[in-house]
Amino acid sequence: MSFTAFYKRNLGFYKLAIASNLEYRMNFFMDALLQPSITSIVEMVLWMAIFKGAQATTIGGFDQNSYLAYALWATFIARATVNWTYEFKMIEEIDQGSINGLLVRPMSYYEYYLSQLLGYKSITTGFSLLFPIGIILATGLPTQWDRFPAAMLLVFYYLFFVYSISFCIASLAFFFNKVQSLTVSKNLAMWLVTGELFPLDLMPDYLRKIFLMLPFSSGVYVPIGFLTGRIGWEFLWHGFASVTVGIIFFSALGAFLWQKGMRSYAGTGA
Amino acid sequence: MSEKFQYAIETEALGRSFQTYKKPEGLINSVKGLWNRETIEKVALQKTNLKIEPGKIIGLVGSNGAGKTTLLKLLSGLIAPTTGYAKVLGYEPFQRDPQFLRRISLLLGQKNQLWWDITPLDSYALLAKIYDLDEIKAAKRVQELAQILNCKHVLETQLRRLSLGERMKMEIIGSLLHEPDVLFLDEPTIGLDIVAQETIRHFLSAYVKNKGPTVILTSHYMDDIASLADRLLLISKGSLVYDGTVQGFVANAELIQTVTYKIVNQPEYKEEVKKADLNEFLVQLTQKGQIENIKIEETDFEDVIHSFLQKESRLL
Repeated sequence: MSFTAFYKRNLGFYKLAIASNLEYRMNFFMDALLQPSITSIVEMVLWMAIFKGAQATTIGGFDQNSYLAYALWATFIARATVNWTYEFKMIEEIDQGSINGLLVRPMSYYEYYLSQLLGYKSITTGFSLLFPIGIILATGLPTQWDRFPAAMLLVFYYLFFVYSISFCIASLAFFFNKVQSLTVSKNLAMWLVTGELFPLDLMPDYLRKIFLMLPFSSGVYVPIGFLTGRIGWEFLWHGFASVTVGIIFFSALGAFLWQKGMRSYAGTGA
Repeated sequence: MSEKFQYAIETEALGRSFQTYKKPEGLINSVKGLWNRETIEKVALQKTNLKIEPGKIIGLVGSNGAGKTTLLKLLSGLIAPTTGYAKVLGYEPFQRDPQFLRRISLLLGQKNQLWWDITPLDSYALLAKIYDLDEIKAAKRVQELAQILNCKHVLETQLRRLSLGERMKMEIIGSLLHEPDVLFLDEPTIGLDIVAQETIRHFLSAYVKNKGPTVILTSHYMDDIASLADRLLLISKGSLVYDGTVQGFVANAELIQTVTYKIVNQPEYKEEVKKADLNEFLVQLTQKGQIENIKIEETDFEDVIHSFLQKESRLL
């Protein structure tokens, strides 16, 4: 198989995700803009209330503006680095047998949804980031713009890690059929360990160290902490390294589960 | 086909069984099922030996749950066999070699395989990329096939907005775009009205004559099988119970013919007579009096298969 064929095919999947999502305009605007905007406003108000209640100018060594910038970015970046849509779709396809129509095509299921996830995230994130960028520019909340490309690169790389976990969970549907609750549990845990709920530097020191060692922190805390000036370049490099290890681990696990699952797959439902 | 095979499809003791679990009735048993489930093995396809020459159309017929779709899934590489092996175009299907997948097509009449949210034209453009086809030639081929199927007007409408018949035509174009050497058609006319069934039947017949792929066709409409198949495979309870021609099956079946007759000064009668006993019945009839009118209705393939499936269903 030539690289050109591989590239063209995956570009096709990438564009498919964009076209499919833009087909439903209302849902697209809600998903890309309204939902994260509401969440970020709630979180920012919450931080204002915390500072007012604490009657302190800093918490954990950072002032209110620093937390507001973190909350604003974290909501949007967390949405960019979570994968509900395609994970649910994959589980449902395996459970209901509609995966059959894809398995008879000369392509891998892994690449099919990975490229779609990247396409979907490109269009929704590209659009939704206009909101925090606009707010930051208007309010002057702390953000180091020269760090923006590197932070976004880590976010993009982290998507491969997220997808490799999704692929493992979806493969479990071969054995247990309905495993959506695992997706929900995983995403709830991610809420904490990525640093979406609050910055990891507010955690007890031993937990903070553990979480920073794991690749999950590269989903929110590391890119946002780096972008808002809470942490330096060394955390970013460590983020790339830990995400790489995570991708290798979960890809190997996913390949194993997939092969075992396909052996037992009954193809029912279609 | 680039290579020459004696058999396009060959199986040796090919079989598949599934593990499932028994769920006795009631809520208590649902709770018990949390920690204790009795697994049972269900044989979907018994060990099957099959040899199919290239370019043949095979009609695969059986009642629901007989094992037709399991056989198609095994041959297209969707599921792994639990016994034996299959070779399709020289490939082991379950290995799912991309070269193999490029040369087959599986059309599932009850499932959409094109993309729901985009137009058929966008779907075909994507399929051209998946199958690494020349995009200009593929686009031209789409127009040709759409012209024959009389559905060019819906090519730019999202799949979800099309009627069942239009969607099936779109699916057929999608499954033939890469000119497969082996075509698995699972209920291609299911749910369609008579006109749409006829259109698709004629189209497939012409396509097969022109391109010569090997086809395995399952259908609940016996007209599909009778008009298209060179060879008939009857499957029952996971086993092949007949392998031969449609005509051969009809000839060997215990045919029942309906004889409607009227003897002068008597009312009209209608009787069902075995074909083998027909001569004797007619001799006896002439002895009853002067025959005013007589009509003998021939049993067709549909009736024979229907009676076969009914018998098999009772045995299940």
